[in-house]
Amino acid sequence: MKVSYEWLKNLLKSFQKGPDELASLLTMYLAETTVKTLGKRPVLDVELLSNQVSWASGHLSLSREISACLGKKFNFLKPILKEDSKILAKNFLSLEIQTSNCKYYSARVIKGVKVKESPKWLKDRLNDCGIQSINNLVDAANYVMLETGQPLHVFDFDALNPKQKLKKTIIVRQAKDKEKINTLDGKRYSLIKEMMVIADNNQPIALAGIKGGQETGVSKKTKNIILESANFKGSNIRLTSKALGLITDASWRFEHNLSFELTQYALERLAELIQQIAGGNILKGKIEKIQDISGWEKEKKEIPVKWGNWEKFLGWPIPKKKIKQNLSLLGFSFKEREKYLLIKPPMFRNDLEIKEDVMGEIARLEGMNNIPFILPQESLTLPQRNEFWIFREKIKDWLKDYKLEEVYNYSFVSEKDKNILPLEWQQKMIEIENPTSSLTKYLRPTLLVNFLKNVYDNFRFSEKIRFFEIGNIYSTKNESFVFGGVLAQKDISGDNSLFYQAKGIIENLFENFGVDSDDYEFKSLNKTEFSKLLAKGAAIFNGKNLIGVLGKPQKTLLENYNTEGEIIFWEIQLTSLFNLINEEREFRPLPKYPSVIRDISLLIPQNILIDVILTAIQAASPLLLEEVDLFDIYTGENLPQENKSLSFHLTFRANDHTLKNVEVDEEMEKIYKALKNIGAKIR
Amino acid sequence: MDFKEFKKEAEKEASLINSLSDLEKWRVKYLGRKSALSLFFHSLSQSSLQGKKRQGQEANKLREALSDLYNRKKDEIEKKLSIADKNFNFLDITQPGKKQVSGHLHPLTLVTREIVAAFEKMGFSIVEGSEIETEYYNFDALNMPSDHPAREMWDTLWLRSSHKVSIAPPAPRSPTLHSYGDGALWRAGNCQLPNSKLLLRTHTSPMQIRYMEKHQPPFRIIVPGRCFRYEATDASHEVQFHQIEGLMVGENITLSNFKAVIEEVIKDIFKQRVLVRFRPSYFPFVSPGVEVDIKIEPKACPERSRGIKSRAVAIDMERRRCSVAIAMEHRRQKSKVKDEWLEIMGAGMVHPALFKRVGYENNRWQGFAFGLGIERFAMIKYKINDIRLFFNSDIRFLEQF
Repeated sequence: MKVSYEWLKNLLKSFQKGPDELASLLTMYLAETTVKTLGKRPVLDVELLSNQVSWASGHLSLSREISACLGKKFNFLKPILKEDSKILAKNFLSLEIQTSNCKYYSARVIKGVKVKESPKWLKDRLNDCGIQSINNLVDAANYVMLETGQPLHVFDFDALNPKQKLKKTIIVRQAKDKEKINTLDGKRYSLIKEMMVIADNNQPIALAGIKGGQETGVSKKTKNIILESANFKGSNIRLTSKALGLITDASWRFEHNLSFELTQYALERLAELIQQIAGGNILKGKIEKIQDISGWEKEKKEIPVKWGNWEKFLGWPIPKKKIKQNLSLLGFSFKEREKYLLIKPPMFRNDLEIKEDVMGEIARLEGMNNIPFILPQESLTLPQRNEFWIFREKIKDWLKDYKLEEVYNYSFVSEKDKNILPLEWQQKMIEIENPTSSLTKYLRPTLLVNFLKNVYDNFRFSEKIRFFEIGNIYSTKNESFVFGGVLAQKDISGDNSLFYQAKGIIENLFENFGVDSDDYEFKSLNKTEFSKLLAKGAAIFNGKNLIGVLGKPQKTLLENYNTEGEIIFWEIQLTSLFNLINEEREFRPLPKYPSVIRDISLLIPQNILIDVILTAIQAASPLLLEEVDLFDIYTGENLPQENKSLSFHLTFRANDHTLKNVEVDEEMEKIYKALKNIGAKIR
Repeated sequence: MDFKEFKKEAEKEASLINSLSDLEKWRVKYLGRKSALSLFFHSLSQSSLQGKKRQGQEANKLREALSDLYNRKKDEIEKKLSIADKNFNFLDITQPGKKQVSGHLHPLTLVTREIVAAFEKMGFSIVEGSEIETEYYNFDALNMPSDHPAREMWDTLWLRSSHKVSIAPPAPRSPTLHSYGDGALWRAGNCQLPNSKLLLRTHTSPMQIRYMEKHQPPFRIIVPGRCFRYEATDASHEVQFHQIEGLMVGENITLSNFKAVIEEVIKDIFKQRVLVRFRPSYFPFVSPGVEVDIKIEPKACPERSRGIKSRAVAIDMERRRCSVAIAMEHRRQKSKVKDEWLEIMGAGMVHPALFKRVGYENNRWQGFAFGLGIERFAMIKYKINDIRLFFNSDIRFLEQF
């Protein structure tokens, strides 16, 4: 909100501060303020908080705040009108309120005004606040709005329904669907029934609280006028303003629900000013109707605050005298009782309802920045460990050590991304009703989509990509934390080494968390929903629960995201994994007898799974074989087709004596035999 | 004994030897007391004189040849070692070390950890809520009924109304965990409460209500998490961002306490080199409302850009010169950084209507709540000028942290 420095200075009388000083004062005591234009007429930009608009959007209220900060009480002047002693306004204007969106409406009639240019001082002040001068009547309405914060309007009396010659009617009502209005700025709007209008008994003459109508606006010929000062329901003004895309100085203020007191004050002030600069005869009495009695009464409610409340809530002692002094500086009035104060909020303020609001105002005047620094006297309790949080942070640390980069991708995927995904996946995606663009239309159902985009983007800078992310994925059932990763390289190795790297990362991580290797197994993807996303790979199961997947994305996906080279992706449900972790470790006594290590190499058809081979070896020597370590896998040249060569270190140990060679030989024989049975040739 | 074969084998083996210890093994094997050669000499005593003479000569020749070989080999190895040793003496300690690679944590993770750690020292526990929320918790319960003007401050992304999503706590199992659910899930549509329309939370504040519904004071919690706004994206606005909510409630938690706790924590996070200021603000769910601004003390920014530091280990001198130039440019830019206050936190004393809403005893509890933007902290700390960098996953950005 633009504020005229000259105007404030004029209102504040013996005020010495420069614009910069004033701006920083307002920033610290009211709302963030900057100096917009310097030069002869500095202008301040005050960014009022949403609860302040209703009572601080006028120069008078700002002056009250500034005065209070400087330790002086500011007094609002009471408007002084010279009303006609005989001619009654009610003989010329009748009022009907037909909608509850209008809480209060008041009007005055002035006859015989003279339309002309405004005086310079008034034009300058309007100009400071960014409002163009039009003529003295329109300017007066705008001026009083800037002065008090109450938007006002001036109708040309004679332009209201010309069929009613002597007595005019003003009706506040809801618009009819498709009803039209021409506004002052020459635009034409088509309305709906949710919008409120001011009308004569013929047609709308103003968009209530937003803009006046063209036909009834003040023109050079205007002689007789009606002044409007009304109080509208903020939510309805906001609705209309938003729907029509029409935000005005008036609508902005009305949206914040003004006080009735302000509405009354401003009408009198406008009449006073118009009489002063345009002459005219103010007819006796005002035409008014109160629609919302409860709101009216609420404004007059007194708030009791016990003497003990102040220190208990704010935290430091403030002498009674100081409290009372500060209250009156801010414009509060109060009745003093033995144990408490009965406090009535300042004029024009309808935002203060509870004792905390009142105490907050005193803190604000003391200066939020001057509040004493006092640490809480609470009992010393240890924060509760959030194990799930710690668990996730540990995963991050480990993955970093595995040379992966952590990313935070968007929670969104685009319309295009959705269409690339298989139908089963599309069906469970959550759609945003009001996306900011097609890019934020859906919530991601898997981390894969954005990972593929990452790979494409980063292949420009890097041959190899190793990314991981911990975040939510979303389906129409729920949102769930997952831990995912992607390994990618431009070069095509032709083997499955990336897959085994990813598998190794997952296995190591599981091991680090003490997940028992019996608690999970790698199985075929086939029956899972991921078979549509991944061309080959494995599903990780805990019993019947799918806890994660890893594998190579489907070719169609890779093509759609223009990613060449090799890519392996994984995604693991963190809550499932969390349920399996077991970080309690127990010491195993060190072995007393030495081990014997033998190596074995074998040639075996490729389709025999490693798992089968390991099981065969272990079953053949159940007692003495301590560990099997597969240290080399070779396929390719010099081997019979469809065969692989495997080499193992076998570690044997007995826990009650040192093994003799003969014993180990015997075990080896059993193992050879078992391996031959599954089709292996020992090399 | 086949002397030729024996020699050939010994020479072949010797040619592969690189260390003195292997050479010693070789000596024992071919020249030692139990070597085939020694055994042969031993057996000579039983041979005929004729045989002794012929074979003895041959064996002696072999022994000499092997001894020679041994000595030559020994010299050769010792020479090599001494060169290596000499080279070691030429150790150039200014040569950059061999780079050891590791991955990197995201700057938001790093900053979150620092903030969380600071609050944990003050006894705050970490609690989490879900990103999909109901209109009730995001707005109504926080004193923002649907026609409240303050709702404008939180432009919202709404979920398509046909969706029914269970809103469950993120953390499973452990009963000691702070979370709001007892397995009672929220479902839009069939929920009893009004305003169960689903949205993406616009702040972490809904957890104030959810937590208080399940816990009695006193307590102090922080709630880190991702939030969303309907926002056109630019260098300082994003549709998604991260917040940390805080809530401390007790019988005597005051505005002064708020100031002290926040000042301590911020000083901890920015390692004392920071000025903190408090000014009035407004949020419907607090009264009074406070805004917290900070200013990094201009003299005190010696924290070196990590990007530059890693560049300094560049291998060749050309690159090193470059990095010096970059560092100087950086310093020049830094001196231009405007000395200004930066908003980092909205806060205030919890509005009594919230206590009433969750069923607390009247007039008994009071406390403060706050919300801070993690991106904002990270941007200040690392001097990042574009919020979009956090979510673009550019490896050149990620590797700097």
